[in-house]
Amino acid sequence: MLWLLLLLPLQALGAAEKTLGVPPDSISKYVPSKSNTWTCLDGSKEIPWDYVNDDACDCADGSDEPGTGACPNQPFYCKNEGHVGSFIPSSRVKDGLCEPNCCDGSDERPGVCNNVCQEVGQVYRKKVEEENKIRKTGSKIRSTYIAYAHKEKKRLEGVIETSAAEIAIQEKEVVRLRDIAERSESLSAAALELKQQSPLYISLITHSNALKSLQREHKKHLQREKELSNILDALRTGYNPNYQDMAVLEAVRGWEEIAGLPHINDVGKDSVSDEEAGVQEDTASEVAETKEEVDDEMWSAEELEKDLDDLLNSDYVSLLLEHDEYVQSVPEGSVLFDIASYLPDSIAPQYEEFKDTLVSWLVNLGIIKGETPSSTDTSRSRQALTDAENRLNSIKKEKEDAENDLKEIFNIHGYGLEGQWKKLDGTCLRTEVGDYTYEVCLFGEAKQIPNKGGSTFSLGKFASWNPSPDVKPGDDTYYGKQIYNRGTRCWNGPERNVVLLLSCGTENTLNSVVELEKCEYQFTGTTPALCRPLDSSEGKNGQNANAGKDEL
Amino acid sequence: MRSVALFGAIAALLVLPDVLAVKSHDFKTCSQSGFCRRGRALAARAQEAQSSWESPYWVEPSSISVSPENSTIKASVKSSLYPEIKFSLELRIHDDGVVRVLLDEVDGLRKRYDEAASWALVSEPQLSKSIRWAVGKKEFRAAFGKKNDIEIIVKYEPLCVRLRRGGEDQIVLNGRGLLHMEHFRSQTSKETVEEVASDENGEGQEVLQTENVRAWFEGQSEDAYWEEKFSTWTDSKPKGPESLSLDISFPNHGTVYGIPQHATNLSLPSTTGDSPSYSDPFRLYNTDVFEYLASSPMSLYGSIPVMHAHSAENTVGVFNAVGSETWIDISYPTKKSTHTHWISESGIMDVFLLPGPTPEEIFAQYARLTGTTALPAHWSLGYHQCRWNYVSSDDVRTVQKRFDEEDMPVDVFWLDIEYAQDHKYFIWDHKTFPDPVEMTNDVAAAGRKMVVIVDPHLKRTSDYPVYQEASDLDILVKPKSGEGEYEGWCWSGSSSWIDHFDPASWDWWISKFTTTKIDTGFSWTESTEDVHIWNDMNEPSIFNGPEITMPKDSIHYGGWEHRDVHNINGMLFHNNTAQAVRVRSDIPKRPFVLTRSFYAGSQRVGAMWTGDNLGTWDHMAVGIKMVLANGIAGMAFAGSDVGGFFGNPEPEMLVRWYQVGIFSPFFRAHAHIDTKRREPFLLEEPYKSIIRDILRLRYSMLPIWYTAFRENSVTGMPIVRPHYVMFPQDTAGFNIDDQFFVGSSGILVKPVTEKEKTEATVYLPEDQVYYDYFTQHAYRGSSKGKHVAVAAELHQVPVFIRGGSILPTRERPRRSSPLMKLDPFTLRVALSKAGTARGELYLDDGITYSHQQGELVWREFVAEQPQKKMTRISSKDLASQNPAKAVDGVALTAYDPKNAFAKEIEEVRVEKIVVLGLNSKPSAVKLESGADLKWEFVPGVAASDKKEGTASVLSIKDPKVLVTADWAIVIS
Repeated sequence: MLWLLLLLPLQALGAAEKTLGVPPDSISKYVPSKSNTWTCLDGSKEIPWDYVNDDACDCADGSDEPGTGACPNQPFYCKNEGHVGSFIPSSRVKDGLCEPNCCDGSDERPGVCNNVCQEVGQVYRKKVEEENKIRKTGSKIRSTYIAYAHKEKKRLEGVIETSAAEIAIQEKEVVRLRDIAERSESLSAAALELKQQSPLYISLITHSNALKSLQREHKKHLQREKELSNILDALRTGYNPNYQDMAVLEAVRGWEEIAGLPHINDVGKDSVSDEEAGVQEDTASEVAETKEEVDDEMWSAEELEKDLDDLLNSDYVSLLLEHDEYVQSVPEGSVLFDIASYLPDSIAPQYEEFKDTLVSWLVNLGIIKGETPSSTDTSRSRQALTDAENRLNSIKKEKEDAENDLKEIFNIHGYGLEGQWKKLDGTCLRTEVGDYTYEVCLFGEAKQIPNKGGSTFSLGKFASWNPSPDVKPGDDTYYGKQIYNRGTRCWNGPERNVVLLLSCGTENTLNSVVELEKCEYQFTGTTPALCRPLDSSEGKNGQNANAGKDEL
Repeated sequence: MRSVALFGAIAALLVLPDVLAVKSHDFKTCSQSGFCRRGRALAARAQEAQSSWESPYWVEPSSISVSPENSTIKASVKSSLYPEIKFSLELRIHDDGVVRVLLDEVDGLRKRYDEAASWALVSEPQLSKSIRWAVGKKEFRAAFGKKNDIEIIVKYEPLCVRLRRGGEDQIVLNGRGLLHMEHFRSQTSKETVEEVASDENGEGQEVLQTENVRAWFEGQSEDAYWEEKFSTWTDSKPKGPESLSLDISFPNHGTVYGIPQHATNLSLPSTTGDSPSYSDPFRLYNTDVFEYLASSPMSLYGSIPVMHAHSAENTVGVFNAVGSETWIDISYPTKKSTHTHWISESGIMDVFLLPGPTPEEIFAQYARLTGTTALPAHWSLGYHQCRWNYVSSDDVRTVQKRFDEEDMPVDVFWLDIEYAQDHKYFIWDHKTFPDPVEMTNDVAAAGRKMVVIVDPHLKRTSDYPVYQEASDLDILVKPKSGEGEYEGWCWSGSSSWIDHFDPASWDWWISKFTTTKIDTGFSWTESTEDVHIWNDMNEPSIFNGPEITMPKDSIHYGGWEHRDVHNINGMLFHNNTAQAVRVRSDIPKRPFVLTRSFYAGSQRVGAMWTGDNLGTWDHMAVGIKMVLANGIAGMAFAGSDVGGFFGNPEPEMLVRWYQVGIFSPFFRAHAHIDTKRREPFLLEEPYKSIIRDILRLRYSMLPIWYTAFRENSVTGMPIVRPHYVMFPQDTAGFNIDDQFFVGSSGILVKPVTEKEKTEATVYLPEDQVYYDYFTQHAYRGSSKGKHVAVAAELHQVPVFIRGGSILPTRERPRRSSPLMKLDPFTLRVALSKAGTARGELYLDDGITYSHQQGELVWREFVAEQPQKKMTRISSKDLASQNPAKAVDGVALTAYDPKNAFAKEIEEVRVEKIVVLGLNSKPSAVKLESGADLKWEFVPGVAASDKKEGTASVLSIKDPKVLVTADWAIVIS
């Protein structure tokens, strides 16, 4: 029926205005020469003025048909009075459809499209207004982010300053302690050597070595098992039944049995019979029972995991000396003082601090005696040196971290020139889609967490802002996209990765997650960090705003 | 897929090199199929026996009877092996000279399946009324044909059927004595034989002797008569042996074509004889072959048992209407003769002999039997964008937006299986597609359509109404027990299949597609008339079934086993779906339903594609051959997935594949779920712009394609035509299957299907001028055939206009094809050596069936030289001249040039005429009615010259002549 409306006399086409479809800044170019000719805008050809907008393409650049669509790739300008003027491609001129971008209907044969620019303009302005409102609120929040960044900068600078001073002190301390340790060690070296001939000590060392080797092998196996189970999990969730590969199906089923998982094709299936479900439960509890059949004195798997490292990190020399002491007398305070030797290096400094406080407090209260020189002097002094070195390193690291953070805060490729992103470092956004919760911790890691149990997959770690070479670092399209990559590898596929698309919003939210192709996720979200303040020129200049004012 | 880095041992084991990708062990070779083994063994014994071999089948002369109308003759046939078994032979001569030869066992233990032809045939063929059978002592015969030069001769002993022309054998049935119709028997006889043979010496000897008497023909042992194992499956074969072996020879034809679908050359390679190309016979057994090979006689998704035998003298054809698994051996005993051997598992013998004698007549004869491609919806000739899967309604909207932003035309967006919740087709997964109707409307707003997949496997859960209703109606395929529902494994997990052989399923299935609520159960209210359908997996594909399909002993309506109807199965599902889409609207609209599985007759229903191809150059190349092969077997609306289903084609390959795609009748890009996205807007420059131009070229040529579809719908002439069809006498062209013509338009295409090519060699088969479509360079062929080298940089696809053609195109790019409806035309007049040209243009509303009421425009454009130094280009109405031939299926008695459709487009004009190859600059170009026209002339080579080089080009600016009107332009 639409087409019937289009049956207008040919003359209507012929009478098309010569400047129809010409943008305001080019109107001056559409005038005939004195001899009533016209030259194509690319200068390639001179044609009779009649040929302009005559619905037949004459110029190679299409410039003779700005208003008819006769030349491909020639943009058509819609004035859209009452709204914003805009271009549409020639493919949309006289195609029978009314374009939202051409609300005045000037691109179609007369009578096809009504001029709806008033309505469209109104809706548009309302939308712009709403967007501006969001931007206004968002930009206020954003300014607090910027303020935070400045505060953070100050704090970091403070940290750097303090730690630099501490480093100087600590360095001196290390030198002093090293001196003591070396001296006491050289004094007692001969005695120690003798003690180390003790069969008990030698056996201890042998045991320790054996245990270390065993642990190493065990870890290798655990690692292997983990990799295999990852592969099998990925196989289980990712295999494609269309491959109709019975070998794969068997592998999946075998794995499900070992891991006590339901069959993947039954997951979420409403019709799983109770009997089946019961059987699965039984299997699971059996597995659990088997696990518990462990000798009381033996270490549980958990203990092995947690405590074995500590045990193996024992300072055997200290133990040897302590042992001597123990055999000779009842030891005092050794547990408290030597606990540090059981602790991993990473927490030793904190512990030391705590211990010092505690000791001085206890000493003050007269509950324990202060450290007194004894036969464990050597190891103690060595320990003191190690502790001091640890402390030094940790301060150095603190300083280094602070320096790095400081570098990123106002970096265009980091937290932005204004530092607007710093506040969001580590902010985690979540959303639930289907059977999964998706999480992205900004500048950290993105994850897929199954709601019904199963393994969590890393979807990648923060890699960069919009990497497209066409995008200028620092502008909105640059910060509108974050890349997280090198996540858990897909079965028979690439490593998972995420493109996070952000736009201005009053809150930090994660709105949608789609897996557009296998293992390639697209997240969309909002953040105030993208709400730049409304430029004073924006919303005042431009046709739209003018129109808006007229309207108001 | 193969470019993806591997990891882990499992992945390494699963991802195999291309050549090993197909799971060959999932599919039988002939030696793993009992009846094929028996058939080949029979042929081997005959080969060994040589001249002493004689068929045991003979006609009882006393039994011959001729029908009162004389067209039909019947006789009893006996086998000397089993004198007690009765067979009946029947020959019918159709009024177009096609001879139908039927052979069946009569009064046997059971009935052979005899309904294959009834599904394939478009209607009961008209029998000739002018036949005179001459019944002699040794043979009966009849002569017929326009010149009475065709003879059909049936010799009595041994039985042999010959079709002759001009005294020469054209088609011979049982000439090699391989005819064998295994009669029904009871299994006890076998046990008796074994028992007797082993236990009772005396009597056993006798039985063994009896067996030995037949052994020369049937072999010593009962090979897989009663049960057959393959891998972990057992076929129970309750009916025992019932195969049919038939040799069909073409003593005077050295080239055979047809029997799609196989990934192989158009001209079929040999499978037996001296150094055969393949070791296994060509197989027809509809199967879902994962990552199929680019050259193989293995069966694929569809089967059309029609074969053309061709020589420079004439063309003949056979259509073997059998629905069961069939193997075909081909050998070429000499360069000018062909032997074929057809081995089918069950069913009667029902062979149609097509006398030709030209390819054109073969197409007409076959079209009269099985019908033509229904004229499709015009939009379905546009570009189809598919992927497994567009994951949400917003994804679909975004893809559409990106096409529009890049100003790339596209007509259809597709949804694969993931739209459906738990793969319960029709049931949208609302988590990702919350608003399917609004999404469809958004797509339809730009004149576009959606195609959504509906597969035949129904998830067996009571909360799936489609399954539950089918279960309640008892219209599901049954397991071998004949009771209950067959259950298999497919996308939806545990599934069942509708038995579309059951008439009770038809109306029910059709009602599911109604877009409004119905009283009788589920209907697809969450769809609109802009949603069309894709039927995949209809072989049927069953993941845990033997050869990934249904067990042969499953039971269909009427008690027939799946083995009897397997190859027909997919067509019925396709057909009922298309019927459903047609009738869901008040005014019936042309349905678009794509199928993967097909059979003879499927062309009446809709389009097919070549299934899950690989993103390799080999597959790109073989896709062209497969589309050509399907086209000559009637399945004209065909295409292969652009880009390849599996794998990540590099941009160069993708560009070349689009160049192939735009010259396929069906043009769709599709991709596997594991692949990277590759929609054309995602490509970098220059690839993106090249593909934009390629897409626009397809759209500009839509009038040519639609005109070709009209011709096909009426005559059966293929849409894409191989050389032997266009130039049947040019022996050099018989094996050419990498270049082809588009309809009768005169367009010749040679797509580039090799990496890093910058030049192509094109074969020009005649002494005529061929113009490069883009550069207007004039090339000269030769009557002996000639190869010319042409530039084929990545952005160039070699396309030629045969001198003597007029091409109507629409050159204004649009977002979708319906938006071109009122666009003006450009005419390219490519003058022949003689200075003449002609072309056609067919238009109708492209949506409804109003063309069957004569609402259409069918024009002829002619360029001629009425006098020296004058060329006259005119437009004439073809519909008034040939109303009866305008539309498929309806003989219009009259045509009204002022019909409603013609009025709708009466303002549509010709905006430009380009004349190639004029001798010299015209002095004047005028409408015959008087007005002077504006024009430009660029001198160049004339059509009548002997030179090559850029042709002279006359461009007539906007003559303002209307496509619906008669007009003439005179160039002097």
